[in-house]
Amino acid sequence: MQMQYWFGDVEIGDNGEGTPRRVKIPGKSGPEDYAERCRNIESDMADFVPLRVADAIAGDSGNNGNNVNNVNNGNNDDAAGFKDEAEYFETLRLTTIALAESKIKLYYTKGDIELVQMVRVLDEMDNVINRLIERATEWYIVQNPKFSRKYKSVSAKKMVDIMRREKNSLGRLGYEIDRLSIERTRLMREISDRADIIAPNCSALVGGLVAARLISRAGSLSRMAMMPASAVQVLGAESALFTHLRGNTPSPKHGIIFQHRRIHNAGTGVRGKVSRVLGGKLAIAARLDYYRGEIAPEFIEKAQERIDYVFAAGEDGSKDEGKESGKAGGKVNGNAGGKNDVKTEGRVNGKDEGKKKNDKRRSAE
Amino acid sequence: MIRIDGVLLSKGSGGVYGEKMMKGLRVWDPYRSKFAALAMIKPETDLDEDLRVLYLGAANGTTVSHFADYVKTVYAVEFAPRPMQDLIEVSRRRKNIIPIMADAANPREYAPFVEEVGMIYQDVAQPNQAEIALVNLPFLKKGGVVILMLKARSVDVTADPKVIFEDTIKTLEDGGLIVEDTCRLEPYHHDHACIVCRKP
Repeated sequence: MQMQYWFGDVEIGDNGEGTPRRVKIPGKSGPEDYAERCRNIESDMADFVPLRVADAIAGDSGNNGNNVNNVNNGNNDDAAGFKDEAEYFETLRLTTIALAESKIKLYYTKGDIELVQMVRVLDEMDNVINRLIERATEWYIVQNPKFSRKYKSVSAKKMVDIMRREKNSLGRLGYEIDRLSIERTRLMREISDRADIIAPNCSALVGGLVAARLISRAGSLSRMAMMPASAVQVLGAESALFTHLRGNTPSPKHGIIFQHRRIHNAGTGVRGKVSRVLGGKLAIAARLDYYRGEIAPEFIEKAQERIDYVFAAGEDGSKDEGKESGKAGGKVNGNAGGKNDVKTEGRVNGKDEGKKKNDKRRSAE
Repeated sequence: MIRIDGVLLSKGSGGVYGEKMMKGLRVWDPYRSKFAALAMIKPETDLDEDLRVLYLGAANGTTVSHFADYVKTVYAVEFAPRPMQDLIEVSRRRKNIIPIMADAANPREYAPFVEEVGMIYQDVAQPNQAEIALVNLPFLKKGGVVILMLKARSVDVTADPKVIFEDTIKTLEDGGLIVEDTCRLEPYHHDHACIVCRKP
């Protein structure tokens, strides 16, 4: 019976331990070569015999008759030939490190892992910026007793601009907050662009940022691809969902997908329906993205059509009326707006950003 | 094992994870490491300096680094990429750690690297912990020990830890192991139990 170990193949007798073994490996190699060899080894656990370090060490053959049997042909290529145990373990360690590192690298190049981290950083930046502005505003008010935000509707952005006029450390803080906001916008664009590449179909449906957020919430693209449509629909509304499952609150209609304008612009009557349809289409899109990895224009077009149709049903208040009229309207709408939707998505989403905080709260309701 | 004033220690250079030092030795905190907790509860626990250990669920390599201070070689198996990065870093400094990135439930992935070991130490927080221990038995020599750190909450959150505990022992015994000792890891780790088995 022949066993394959990381350093070479070993011939093992049938009567178990203590039988002659022979080591075969073409020449001595470095950790990288061993790692390459190990990528192609398949061990069978049914009649597996753990390796013996002594088999790999050339010098041991003399001490122990039942070890390396490389004497009979005197060919150095025929032995793993590690000088001693120290060299054996050093090489083994470097080999497994090389293997592990290449596995980690492969795992990280999947792309969605970095995307998930980027989305989390973005969310954290939002948090930090908002809290900093809030704090700094309080400070500014103390410095300027005559100042009040009442009747002026001073936006956060405006507030930062006002602060920047101060000549003290508050002014400098305002400047830093402003820079952080600019960086945030850049990151948002980068996320959106990256989502377009990693999840082209999802991004075409809801825009890069929302697609990235969905992936981030699901954990990875593969997880999202394996989710049922209903789960995609309420992704991000977990707390509302579990409150619903536990008690008698109504079920959440939408989670993160609420950030898509087709949903928050939909009439309250059809919002749930649009969410359901969008959730369903997104679930399909995620699978396309994960397994095919490229955009499927005919799917996107049909999906947009369907979403527009349900959306339009709410717009003219004819949600319960005959399907025929709605369908016709939807189709025209879809053909006219469908293509445009895809292109303008990123920008539209950018505009929606400001509303996000509010939306998040509402979507959880 | 080295104990001074009731504190468990290990030799070796410190600074692996910010552990405390005491008289030039590394403090092995039983509240952080389950093996240290076992050593506190069962003072007879020992690690032979000639021992080879197959460590399943090595994580960031904190407990592994202490193991490495005591024993000859540690084959540290870990599946997740993030902790693996830390484990590799630990093994660069501690030459007797062999870091293996593989799934402990699938020993075929790492069979070519592991020699016959005297101890399998398992801390994997998976629902099928007993099965994972059993599939790894080919690596264990006759008379070798399996130390299983059982987290009842990972098997089934809803079930009674006692039932899970008994089920696991039964699975291990059906798999041909002799359960030698069991204990809870209170007060160091909650809902954790330790099962020590021997391969006949």
